[in-house]
Amino acid sequence: MREVTGRWTLRQAVAVTPGLLTLLVLFVLPLLELLRQSWSQPISRFGLETTLHADAIHYREALALAGPVLGRSVVMAALATGLCLLIGFPLAWWIVRYGGMWRPLLTGLVVTPLFLNALVRAIAWSSLLADRGPLLQLLQRSGLVPMLEVIGLLQDGRLLNTSAALLAGLTYCGLPFLVLPLVASLSTIPLELLEAAADLQAGPMRSFRLVILPLALPGLISGCLLTFIPALGDVVNAQVLGGPSDRMVGNLLQNLVLVQQRFNTGAALAMVLLLIALAALLLEGRAPRNGQL
Amino acid sequence: MGSDPPLLRQQAGLTPRLLTIWSVTTYGLLFSPALVIALFSFNAPSGRFNLLWQGFTLANWRHLLSDGGLSQAFLHSVLLAITAALLATLLALPIALVVHHRRPRGSGALELVMELPLGIPEVVLGVGLLLLFVRLNVARGWPSLLLAHTLLCLSYAALALKARLSGHDWSLEDAARDLGASPLQVMLRVTLPGLMPGLLAALLLSISLSLDDVLLTSFTAGSVVTFPLWVSGAMQRQISPQIHVLSTLVLILSLGALTIGTAMPAWRRRSELKTPAVHPANSASRS
Amino acid sequence: MRSHFGRRSFLCLGAGAATAAVLPGLLAACSGSRDDQLSISNWPLYIDPSRPGHPGTVERFERASGIRVTYSEDQNDSATFFAKIRPELAAGRAIPQDIFITPYWLASRLIGLGWLEELPVSQIPNAARLVPQLQRPSWDPSGRFSLPWQSGIAGIAYNREVTGRDLTGIEDLYAPDLRGRVGFLTEMRDTMGLLMLAQGEDPGNPTMARAESAFRRLEKAKAAGQIRAFTGNNYQSDLLAGNFAACMAWSGDVAQLAQDNPKLQFIVPSSGGILWADVMVVPKRSPHLREATAWMNFVYDPSEAARITEEVQYISPVQGVQAILSAHQDTAALARNPLVFPDASMRNKLHTFGPMSESEEIAFEERFAAVSQA
Repeated sequence: MREVTGRWTLRQAVAVTPGLLTLLVLFVLPLLELLRQSWSQPISRFGLETTLHADAIHYREALALAGPVLGRSVVMAALATGLCLLIGFPLAWWIVRYGGMWRPLLTGLVVTPLFLNALVRAIAWSSLLADRGPLLQLLQRSGLVPMLEVIGLLQDGRLLNTSAALLAGLTYCGLPFLVLPLVASLSTIPLELLEAAADLQAGPMRSFRLVILPLALPGLISGCLLTFIPALGDVVNAQVLGGPSDRMVGNLLQNLVLVQQRFNTGAALAMVLLLIALAALLLEGRAPRNGQL
Repeated sequence: MGSDPPLLRQQAGLTPRLLTIWSVTTYGLLFSPALVIALFSFNAPSGRFNLLWQGFTLANWRHLLSDGGLSQAFLHSVLLAITAALLATLLALPIALVVHHRRPRGSGALELVMELPLGIPEVVLGVGLLLLFVRLNVARGWPSLLLAHTLLCLSYAALALKARLSGHDWSLEDAARDLGASPLQVMLRVTLPGLMPGLLAALLLSISLSLDDVLLTSFTAGSVVTFPLWVSGAMQRQISPQIHVLSTLVLILSLGALTIGTAMPAWRRRSELKTPAVHPANSASRS
Repeated sequence: MRSHFGRRSFLCLGAGAATAAVLPGLLAACSGSRDDQLSISNWPLYIDPSRPGHPGTVERFERASGIRVTYSEDQNDSATFFAKIRPELAAGRAIPQDIFITPYWLASRLIGLGWLEELPVSQIPNAARLVPQLQRPSWDPSGRFSLPWQSGIAGIAYNREVTGRDLTGIEDLYAPDLRGRVGFLTEMRDTMGLLMLAQGEDPGNPTMARAESAFRRLEKAKAAGQIRAFTGNNYQSDLLAGNFAACMAWSGDVAQLAQDNPKLQFIVPSSGGILWADVMVVPKRSPHLREATAWMNFVYDPSEAARITEEVQYISPVQGVQAILSAHQDTAALARNPLVFPDASMRNKLHTFGPMSESEEIAFEERFAAVSQA
């Protein structure tokens, strides 16, 4: 049973201090600075001085500029997370249930493709999905192209520079971040539990829903968070795989801060994104945690 | 374990097979760019862009470290990734343990703060950290780079550990302590081995994040050149086969390390321990 | 952070004058900035590199001058680089780099902000060899704050096999038969410069009013699905693979790409092309201005400039390079390449994207971002 004590022991406080200190200095301080910048007006365009204003002008600017892109990015990130769940849950299940002593290797295999440099990977994908590449040639010869156009997988007869390609890229990058925590969580479930549930003449679906799912929930939620939030801030996939109307909010933010030199508006937009992440994290905190059985 | 009920055995036929097909296909998709990259590492391009297949050669692999700038950047990245991953996991572990085991007052807020860095886009985090380092006079180079990457990986490590800890059965620790083990012994011999999947997840995810990071690194690296930085700058003028060779090498080395790690007996033993109903005497004799 | 160039050259130096020059520097190295040191920040693969048995530009400079160079290939994006150096320069402090190579428009901005050291041009005799077209350019009218490193042309590249015809200008990028297979650049000045020229406007004096028709046409084309993508340098793979029938591109890239796929062509559009330059600048309060001028003088020596051009294959800012390259058999073809040595007819069609006021720049960037980034 998990104990809940109200007070901190000395040992706990000491253990927590290095991490806490790191967070305070490297995260909270810059965060406060960002917050301040989002409420400040620059005195000159490239100078460092700003004056504080109790005016939400940058937030209004940010939402006006980025509103549609933000909505589109949230939808994309959510879709990618859903796809990762669809593809990744059976995979995680397979690793835990049938992997046996090969579990660490199988788990590691999921993430090692991400060790390849993102740009190099993107180029490899673009040669696979190229207009004259193997995949499109295959589709053209099989006559599936018109149908795929209708459902939106192809755009103007191409695979690259489409929303579908962007979604595929986001899913590809997010998959390991869903599978690994899920494996970590699923591996806490004793096999006996599965078989006990089956013993009760419950069908596979019911035993899954009533027994497995609650126990897998922590890993599931962690995994979804680790997929959704980074996908929301994606920059590379949109640049390489997406079309000109598929840009994500990350691209716009980068442009605002680096090219347009509008750091204050960028800071406001970043705060909005942070709020979305915060909402997701808070929701996660409210989700039922598995109890011991 | 008893005999399997007929219902389970019936399902045992179809479901595992489907799952295996699904999983193998997914692995195939995951590794398809890797195959393309590995293939092109043997390409002999006539110009400067290794993008069209023009002929097989082993020369790229023979002259592995020919480009000094690239090799040095590569080494930097590997060192940085491993160090940052270790640091991030080390920093996140105690917090994760405290928050998910004892849950003292305020630990929910602590947990939130630890996970929140996920939600800050790298470009503003980069600018913010740079300003901070300038103000605090932190040397711009390895110190600032390591700090930035550690922060980057911290939240991922925390979430990966939480996934594991939420289902952790603490009765083993209690049992070990009841048998007279010191807290340190409990930690080293019971808790950490039990957390292995979570630790693995934390380390692997952190390494992959650090190896690929461009934006945050650009701001905080000073004059240190990492592999992704070098590649993104170099690709504007040339896509040399060396990039493909080194990328493939990373893959081979990681797969090798993973395979060796899997063969380690301690892991094998632990993963076979699937039930909590292990007699304390048994577990004591095994470890 | 010492690069491997510095280490190797130290090992290569023999006894004698060279060692005597380095030794005081070595003794003083740990205690911060002293004479005979130089820190350069450049883009990767933008110089003649050191290879086994073949000393590169940096190594030859170190031997000739006795100055120890820390050469970092740490640049990959100008906007990020500016954000990186801004905190210190805005606060009036020196930055670690003594020289960095930067695009002309960023140099123009830095000059306007007063963040660059004025170069003692009298101490750079070889600066007289600068090609006339780049003397007193619009981004540095006094010619005293920057010295071009390399330059190039922004024009149109196309895949003859995919287009099925030869292209002549920007109008081809808007042609219906190339719909969905055309690429534009995310680099605002190159894209808008070319588009303004196509509308008959002079990009040397850019205002929103003058660019209005160009912007409107661009926005319409995007809405109609004419444009496949806005790219940075990653148009190269799309061009090679045939994903782009045609795109805006840079001359030096295509000179290289054509070796992998001879069907690729580069043209300066009939309405005009954009000449750009990457320039060497010294940030304010650098303690090594003397060493920096020595470096600039060194790389403006025609034989040194020729070696860099041989490697990099962009347009050299130094006169006399073509003569040197055509004298040698293995570089004669390069000397005839019009993309590396544009002839007079090509040069006459080249324009530079002029400096803009701050408000115009803000307006341009915002409108361009709305098209290319959202």
